[in-house]
Amino acid sequence: MYGELIAATSVLLPSIMGLACLGLTGRAVRRAVITITAVSLIASSILLFYNGGFVYSPNYIFEISILVFDIGLAAYFLYVGLRIKNVLVIGLTLAQLLLVMYFEYATAGVRAEPVLVIDNLSIFMNLIVNIVGSMICVYALSYMDEHEEILQLTKSRQPRFFFFLLLFLGAMNGLIYSNNILWLAFFWEVTTLCCYELIRHDSTKDAEKNAAVALWMNLIGGVALAFSLFVGYYAIGSIALNELLIAGAAPVILLSFAFMALAAFTKSAQFPFHGWLLGAMVAPTPVSALLHSSTMVNAGVYLVLRIAPAIKDTHLTWAVALVGAFTFMLTAVLAISQRVSKRILAYSTIGNLGLIILCAGLNTPLAYSAALILLLFHAVSKGLLFMGAGVVENRLHSQNIESWEGLLGRFPLTAIIMIVGMISMFLPPFGMLLGKWAALEVIASSPPSIVFLMIIFMVIGSAATTLFWAKWLGHLISLPVREAKLKAEKLHAPYLLSLLSLLSLDLFISVGAAFFISNLVNPTVGGGYSVQIGAPLFSINTTIGSFPVLLFWLAVGIIFIAGFAIAKSKGGVVKPPYLGGENVEGNPLAFRTVADSETEFKVSIMSFDSIGEGRLNKYALVGGTLLLTLLFLVVIF
Amino acid sequence: MGIDRKITARMQSRIGPPLLQPFYDIIKLWGKKPFITSQLQPVLAFGYLGFSLMAAAILVFRLDLLLLLFTVATADICLIAASFNSKSPYSHIGGMRELLSVLSYEPVMIMSIISIYFVTRSFLVGGISSLAYPLLLLLPGVFVAMEFVLIVEMKKSPFDISASMHAHQEIVRGVFTEFSGYTMAMVELGHWVKMMLILSIMAYFWAPNLLIGVGLALLLFFVSLVVDNVYPRLTWQRMLKTTWTFGFTLILANLAALFLLGGV
Amino acid sequence: MDITNKARVKSPWVLHFNCGSCNGCDIEILAALAPRFDVERFGIINIGNPKQADVLLVTGPANRRNFRVLKNLYDQMPEAKVVIVVGSCGSTGGVFHNCPNVLGGVDKVIPVDVYVPGCAARPEQIIDGFLLGLQKLAEKGKKKVEGR
Repeated sequence: MYGELIAATSVLLPSIMGLACLGLTGRAVRRAVITITAVSLIASSILLFYNGGFVYSPNYIFEISILVFDIGLAAYFLYVGLRIKNVLVIGLTLAQLLLVMYFEYATAGVRAEPVLVIDNLSIFMNLIVNIVGSMICVYALSYMDEHEEILQLTKSRQPRFFFFLLLFLGAMNGLIYSNNILWLAFFWEVTTLCCYELIRHDSTKDAEKNAAVALWMNLIGGVALAFSLFVGYYAIGSIALNELLIAGAAPVILLSFAFMALAAFTKSAQFPFHGWLLGAMVAPTPVSALLHSSTMVNAGVYLVLRIAPAIKDTHLTWAVALVGAFTFMLTAVLAISQRVSKRILAYSTIGNLGLIILCAGLNTPLAYSAALILLLFHAVSKGLLFMGAGVVENRLHSQNIESWEGLLGRFPLTAIIMIVGMISMFLPPFGMLLGKWAALEVIASSPPSIVFLMIIFMVIGSAATTLFWAKWLGHLISLPVREAKLKAEKLHAPYLLSLLSLLSLDLFISVGAAFFISNLVNPTVGGGYSVQIGAPLFSINTTIGSFPVLLFWLAVGIIFIAGFAIAKSKGGVVKPPYLGGENVEGNPLAFRTVADSETEFKVSIMSFDSIGEGRLNKYALVGGTLLLTLLFLVVIF
Repeated sequence: MGIDRKITARMQSRIGPPLLQPFYDIIKLWGKKPFITSQLQPVLAFGYLGFSLMAAAILVFRLDLLLLLFTVATADICLIAASFNSKSPYSHIGGMRELLSVLSYEPVMIMSIISIYFVTRSFLVGGISSLAYPLLLLLPGVFVAMEFVLIVEMKKSPFDISASMHAHQEIVRGVFTEFSGYTMAMVELGHWVKMMLILSIMAYFWAPNLLIGVGLALLLFFVSLVVDNVYPRLTWQRMLKTTWTFGFTLILANLAALFLLGGV
Repeated sequence: MDITNKARVKSPWVLHFNCGSCNGCDIEILAALAPRFDVERFGIINIGNPKQADVLLVTGPANRRNFRVLKNLYDQMPEAKVVIVVGSCGSTGGVFHNCPNVLGGVDKVIPVDVYVPGCAARPEQIIDGFLLGLQKLAEKGKKKVEGR
């Protein structure tokens, strides 16, 4: 009873509070509502963790209402399609609507028993979604105020914004509990709805255009889910996910899983569906942070993780891994040439999701653990990075990283948060690197034919991610020579609260990685695989390697303390940089040039346009489409 | 240690500095009046040294090889961050080029380590020692690929685009430009530690008799000096293409041969 | 001589600056670095960076255009340092003495420790001047240690 209450709360509370936001216009009231929701959601996820897994079938009335809402949603999408005159939207919605309605008619309202299954994977996802998601909602309070100030809006559109934001959180929670595939599809579509509405929040032409692209790409996923429903029912006569997962590996069942994988790829913006996520960066930053980095796109990955135990040792799983690997490599290379901060983060997100899907596809116990580790740490770090990027964007009125130069000197606090966030994405001893280390071990221990295929993707992708993060990091950390000490700038309370809590969470889970892996990841893995990661207090041990996490952190601490001590004891006079002897007195950035005139030098980072989007995007689309066809071919043959 | 300058000099028909020269360099640098460009710079410079030492410790204590690689990468990032930290044109360009050097050798090293795993079925250094055959016999291609890594790491021609010891170059001292005094000493020391690290990994290719291994490592060391004296500096695109093409081809061919011949 | 001072003498890194000379002395300096005379055996490296140099090797007279650069480079060199002037132009102005834009020898701008006269100075003389400069470097180093 207790667990069911928590589950119901986590789905219904955000939805109701969201509706409340829609009606309330007062700023203080809205802040109160959001804060209460945030605290409740975080509490509910932690309580759910302690409660443990269970199954639950809500009253039949809920099933009826889901069906009604589903049709209503489809009707709304049809309306949207007609309004924006988009053939794809109309066509896909009609296809989905007809499929579902026919299915309901043909099966005379088949039910699944149980409707909701909350197992360790659900609890794991629940923690991520609610903790990170709530923090981002709190962050959005300040961000939207600043955003509307910059846009000079007279009438605030925040009620609508927060309605969809909270509705999304509720839908995500419902998604990860659902065992009835119809329910899964419904919640899936609600997230699509929120995605569409939030991307087009600013109502500019760009926003509308990109929202439409997001809509039809995600609708492809919806149709794919409908197909998987059909095929699954045809195969086993049930629409319960847990029954489908243990039904064996006949081609028909695999076909159903292939459709689910396709849906997952659309949601997680893998090639060739990456276009919508990049376009979605026009949305206000909390949207990017929540939907497009730490939570909604995780729905796709969640689905892959869900079906992974069932497709072990089939060709399908290798095809899935291949999609992930190719996406990981090419997005890492594409990110190098980007100049818009949010696009770099978007490419990085797609790449990391690709890595997670790669691990899930490789389908060994270690691989599954690696995927979960990556998922956990990525959500926290990426959320943090997007939030920081939003703060900087509001301050600098520019998303171009060229204007981010020397941020450490101008906005020290935000810059340090961003720097730590960036470091946490690619350097040890943070968790993302732990995941990458595990992923490398997984690839190495795969069958030789797989290794040959994947290893090039993996190493190029890994090296490329180092390149673009370090490049950006260097840009931030560039300080003109100065005597004065850095002074932290002032940040609003919601910013401070959300940024610092995610930052501390990031550090906390990275330092305590061993603890979190043994208590969060291993139980989840244990559901479908033998647990392969031993995590005594001090290090992470796989059967083939070992990562002494705590020792590493200790070493990092010692190195930095020693460094500071040496710097303090030796001191040093701050001197201007070497400019061929032509430094100008008093201005460390200037030098004397033609006719003794003074001019400042400019430093920037390389642009790498030769490997830019223009040239590489077509490979992404073609490669992605080919791999998708492969996905279905391996099932059929 | 000072061997490389001595041998290079002898190749150029000169006498060259005494063998203890690098020690004199570092001690002298430590004794100079410190000039810095920011409060952060010495900390990052020490980070470079510190992480290099940590990587060496990982090798000595026979821990995970991948961990070693990532620690080395962290050291490099500290150096690059330090060079970007000083707002100086030469330093920035040097830092960017150093990043490209890291891009060149990191994939090759990862692949080398995975190849070692293929043969020893373990990522721990201890796995190499417990192997029946010396690694060189099984992974000759990987050994040669490591040579490329060594040249990039030693910052010798043709891959010394980010910094150069002797001749004036187009970016003054590149990534090392704004270091002086004790920060330069730490960076030099860190560089030396990393060099010894890679040579030590090479020595492990004849694990049964480490003396032979050291000999092999010194052989490759000598080869890189010869290459240094023969080749001019190449552009970063060339560096990337060369290291990746040769590195990947050698290693994949080696692995394919192992797979077909031995069935690993 | 304590170890730091010994190291200073054993590893003098040079910043070579041409202050407007005819290049004659510069060619001789480069010859000194070349295999035949090989000053690298003394640990001398031509580092192009004042921040890492101990010895400032100047040729040519100080003139109105570059005295600022000369001073700047001298200031950017950390202690302990010596200045060695090569050639008669750098010592007193040489053949360019009394020209309208010439200020005179280098010592008009920065304190000079060793003068190596000649037009152009031969590599042997340059090396000789160098060793004299190293002695002065040792003395300065000792003074620094004794805190004077």
